[in-house]
Amino acid sequence: MFESIRKRVRTGKVTMGLPAGDLPSPFRGMPEIGEAFRTGGAAATCAKACATEAIDPEKKTIDLGRCVFCGLCEEACGGEGIRFTRDPRLPSGKREHLVLGGREIPPLTAAPDVRSLLGRSLHLREVSAGGCNGCDLEAQALGNPVYDLQRFGIDFVASPRHADGLLVTGPVSKNMRDALVKTYEAISEPRIVIAIGACAATGGIFRDSYAVENGVGGVLPVDLIIPGCPPHPLTLLYAMLAFLGKNPL
Amino acid sequence: MHCVHTFDLGNSAPLTEEAFRAFLRETSTGADRLLALFAEESSSGPFLLHAVAGGGAPGRFLHACMETSPRSFRTFTDVCPGTHWFEREIYDLFGLVPESHPELNPLRFHEAWPKKFFPLRSANAPAPDARRGYRFLVVRGEGIHEVAVGPVHAGIIEPGHFRFSCAGETIQNLEIRLGYQHKGIESLFPGAPGVGKILLSESISGDTAVGHSTACARLLEAITGKPAPAPAERWRAVALEIERISNHCGDLGGLATDIGYLFGAAHFGRLRGAALNLLLKITGNRFGRGLNRIGGIGPGVPGIAPEDFPAVLVPLQAEVEKTGTTMLDAPSVISRMEGTGRLLPHTAKTLQFVGMTARASGRDIDARRDFPSPAYVDSAPANVLLDAGDVMARAGIRFMEMRASFEWLSGILAGAAPPGAIAAEGIVAGAGRRLVVSVEEGWRGEIVHAAVVEDGGRITRYKVVDPSFRNWPALSFAVQKNVISDFPVCNKSFNLSYSGADL
Repeated sequence: MFESIRKRVRTGKVTMGLPAGDLPSPFRGMPEIGEAFRTGGAAATCAKACATEAIDPEKKTIDLGRCVFCGLCEEACGGEGIRFTRDPRLPSGKREHLVLGGREIPPLTAAPDVRSLLGRSLHLREVSAGGCNGCDLEAQALGNPVYDLQRFGIDFVASPRHADGLLVTGPVSKNMRDALVKTYEAISEPRIVIAIGACAATGGIFRDSYAVENGVGGVLPVDLIIPGCPPHPLTLLYAMLAFLGKNPL
Repeated sequence: MHCVHTFDLGNSAPLTEEAFRAFLRETSTGADRLLALFAEESSSGPFLLHAVAGGGAPGRFLHACMETSPRSFRTFTDVCPGTHWFEREIYDLFGLVPESHPELNPLRFHEAWPKKFFPLRSANAPAPDARRGYRFLVVRGEGIHEVAVGPVHAGIIEPGHFRFSCAGETIQNLEIRLGYQHKGIESLFPGAPGVGKILLSESISGDTAVGHSTACARLLEAITGKPAPAPAERWRAVALEIERISNHCGDLGGLATDIGYLFGAAHFGRLRGAALNLLLKITGNRFGRGLNRIGGIGPGVPGIAPEDFPAVLVPLQAEVEKTGTTMLDAPSVISRMEGTGRLLPHTAKTLQFVGMTARASGRDIDARRDFPSPAYVDSAPANVLLDAGDVMARAGIRFMEMRASFEWLSGILAGAAPPGAIAAEGIVAGAGRRLVVSVEEGWRGEIVHAAVVEDGGRITRYKVVDPSFRNWPALSFAVQKNVISDFPVCNKSFNLSYSGADL
């Protein structure tokens, strides 16, 4: 008993402040597009190295909805075309917000009525739908004392009846489609859907397998997509706060 | 190389059914254990069953195969109960019926799928028998009631369905129905481009990205004849042990949560994060994605200099030690975990469970010792064995394994045991039709990757065995005669991967 109290006092506060700044090298965060990608042949080199067809060599874009942040494109082009920075903040929103290199799209925030209704208290029901569990683990980590999601008025709840929305991971396996839809329907309106990770965005590494639906978008109306494989807890935190208009920056 | 082996299939004739059966019986009783049983539809026509075993001596791999009719084979569960789920999987993927199987319910395909859908059976094969349809075991008796849980659970965890048959509070039977996470991974492997296979393996089970990708990378290296240099093998082993520490911390935190011991929950949850952040510093990702490439490790790995390790590792070790001893000595913790969810050594041996689950029930198997990778040949983390088989033993073994891993890490990072001089031994590009098998001890247990390779290096069948697939039935045995309110802590004490089992 005394041991645990002493340990508690000695440990002190561990919760992370925001903004947290860059993560340590060699973290692969927000990709930076170089001149050689826009105008030279680097886009073709990068596209050839990409295992998830995230790079369009014609349009010179990189689609973070497909990107698994493996770094193979950066290795192939020597960082001339695409270089991953240490910044955990990734563009999040609708599908079109996730495509970098094309025309600029203003960042997405929730509709004013959703913001005024849920902006200060958002309760989410998490559904894991066919992923590898990586995204689930990072969503779970948001609740630990370091990231402490609850301080922002966001929390995960056990029942869809208590929830304002869904947080979905995974490409939506055919076996989970029904359960996912039923969970969604059990939430009262207005309700939001947040899809996290490359799988939930587009099917990710499992895209076009016989057993998946290639992302949440084909099954439910998605309000916010957060890219990553899996997204770092800070990526999730920043994206959710920005969506709710509570940007800590 | 003790952790990878290539079998020449071109010059070995398939065994008779009787000899194949004897091979499997031997894995149940002898020194060599079953590693995998899987089917293959060969390009020349017949369906083949492959069994891989070994481990009776370091680096010993054994293989047997038999031809089977395109419709069915006689079940092997009578001589080797550990094949139970493997045979159900073979039916799911190939439509080959294991005749007289005790419980031929589909593992992967639910009612919504067409009855005759068998993803790895080609259109050339004769039409299969369709016996698909799921039947739950019904327990009858006065006052028996059923509790159905899932697929969507209350916490942030993967989906699966649990059907309890209880008398009052006491669980008489637990039936586990999985398949919700099935995404067809094995079907994607042959077509994935080179290193794309490694990316795929990182997503077999998100918390075991290092274990799976290492097994996959070594397998691909054995096919292409490009072995990883010794330092790369060392970093693989370092990452593997840190992955083990991160997950064991997370599980001890989870166990603490499930018994309402908040001190353990908060501290171990944070310490798990510290271990994950160390993996990020090595590989650029909290789960170790990006560690492996074919023929070595990623160009940015490790992102941290070996001399900077102690600054992270030493305080982490001290905190794990302090938190672990405080938790596991607490009377309130002991009273909840001791005697709860007991998995008997006899059951663990008969059904051939693997990994720390098996080691907590007295089954002395560890791929780091039995199939040592180059970095473990001279010194592997100390072998830990308990035999109580209860939740307390599975908590204790995690704590003791972390101690052993920390000790091994500090030795290897200090250069006390320069490892892996023989990394390249035995890795040459093969020719002809062959089977390549790769084994690694992930944090849950032994991971097996196997590939049938045609002459020229093309993979035609890729088989993944996650330790969860072997161990899921253990949970059903462990919870029998426990009260249903102890199910969460029993479940957490195994913490099996749904994705790894469902593939």
